[in-house]
Amino acid sequence: MAVKVQIPTPMRPHTGNLPTVDVSAATAGEALRELCKLHPAMEQRLFDNGQLRRFVNIFINDEDIRYLENLDTKIKDSDDLAIIPAVAGG
Amino acid sequence: MIDFQSTDRYSRQMRFHGIGEEGQKKLLASRVTLCGCGALGTVLANNLARAGVGKIRIVDRDFIEPSNLQRQVLFDEQDVKENLPKAEAAVRKLRLINSAIEIEAVVTDIDRTNIESLCQDADMILDGTDNFEIRYLINDVAVKTNKPWVYGGVIGSNGMTMTIIPGKTPCLRCVFEAAPAPGAADTCETAGVLGPVVNIIASMQAAEAMKILSGKAETVNKELLHLDVWENTFRRVKVAPLLGKVDCPCCQRRKFEWLDGEFGSQTTSLCGRNAVQVSHRSAEKLVFEEMARQLKTLGEVSYNKFMLKFQAEGCEFTVFPDGRAIIKGTADVDRARTLYARYIGH
Repeated sequence: MAVKVQIPTPMRPHTGNLPTVDVSAATAGEALRELCKLHPAMEQRLFDNGQLRRFVNIFINDEDIRYLENLDTKIKDSDDLAIIPAVAGG
Repeated sequence: MIDFQSTDRYSRQMRFHGIGEEGQKKLLASRVTLCGCGALGTVLANNLARAGVGKIRIVDRDFIEPSNLQRQVLFDEQDVKENLPKAEAAVRKLRLINSAIEIEAVVTDIDRTNIESLCQDADMILDGTDNFEIRYLINDVAVKTNKPWVYGGVIGSNGMTMTIIPGKTPCLRCVFEAAPAPGAADTCETAGVLGPVVNIIASMQAAEAMKILSGKAETVNKELLHLDVWENTFRRVKVAPLLGKVDCPCCQRRKFEWLDGEFGSQTTSLCGRNAVQVSHRSAEKLVFEEMARQLKTLGEVSYNKFMLKFQAEGCEFTVFPDGRAIIKGTADVDRARTLYARYIGH
């Protein structure tokens, strides 16, 4: 399935400043692993020993994967996968 | 003689169907604690004082600097010249705007020892802070004492906000289980911030507060809103189903780890060295490469496996992988905490 991964501004230096990256994947976890293959510097930002970092939130079509099937959440063609980190400033 | 005490001053707001005379009475009888009075905080305070929220307590540890004036709407050049604390300058300005309400300035550093007393008499808590440590403290107190609060955060051209009503919506830790490790996320000092996004996010927070305080809590926004004024995006991310679905230590298991001091920072003045050590207990290890990239806008940054060094505001920072930092050039613990939040984050 073709999926567009939305990259948040603070992580764009690790995707060559691309705001979105197109990958082909069947699940959320696969999509993120594909992203890390294309842009290896993302690995450290997203994962810690293979686990998604606790401050990284993943949304498929604006739904949090934690109440779906987490990294096993299935992806349909042209779904939108967004990485949204907490915003700290103020 | 003009009567500023009359509720006529709120007539345009009372004519709005959602508020009415009843809603206005409730606003006037309500009390809020505003944590932080910088960018978000000044916009929030401005909106709520004008709307007639009866009692507003403004808590902030900082002083006003010229670089604040671009976005912190209650301050002006005279306040900088007078070297006023932000809470005090805000209260002086707000009293000129609305003399019919009570506004209190508290110039202090919010931490786990004082946050409960600062919030105990408030109907709700408002987030005008710039770091996650205080937000998790607010979240702990809000859940523990069953008070609503509204999170807001801004950086660069983007911002997010979410309203937390304990037991009815997910809490901050349901949505963001952990804050980015110190140095892992941009701060307003490293990535900058635009005035318009501050005004939008804080105005949304203020509207949420008005709903809750006027007795219309059922109309609050139950999702996480995220927008970017430069990229023209607006997302309404569905987080409501997380309530009860994630094993939240705070609102499900009622473990108040930030309030109880299991997480968070401790500061110690290093005697005779004109330096302060800020120890930060964090679940995440620091990524120096990432920090160096963000901090290089300030000047030279050097790091190896064991430490990262940089200079800012006349102080030398030495940061260790576990989040601990020694800030040389000040013996003032409050200033060190401010500098830590400003440049290392959290």
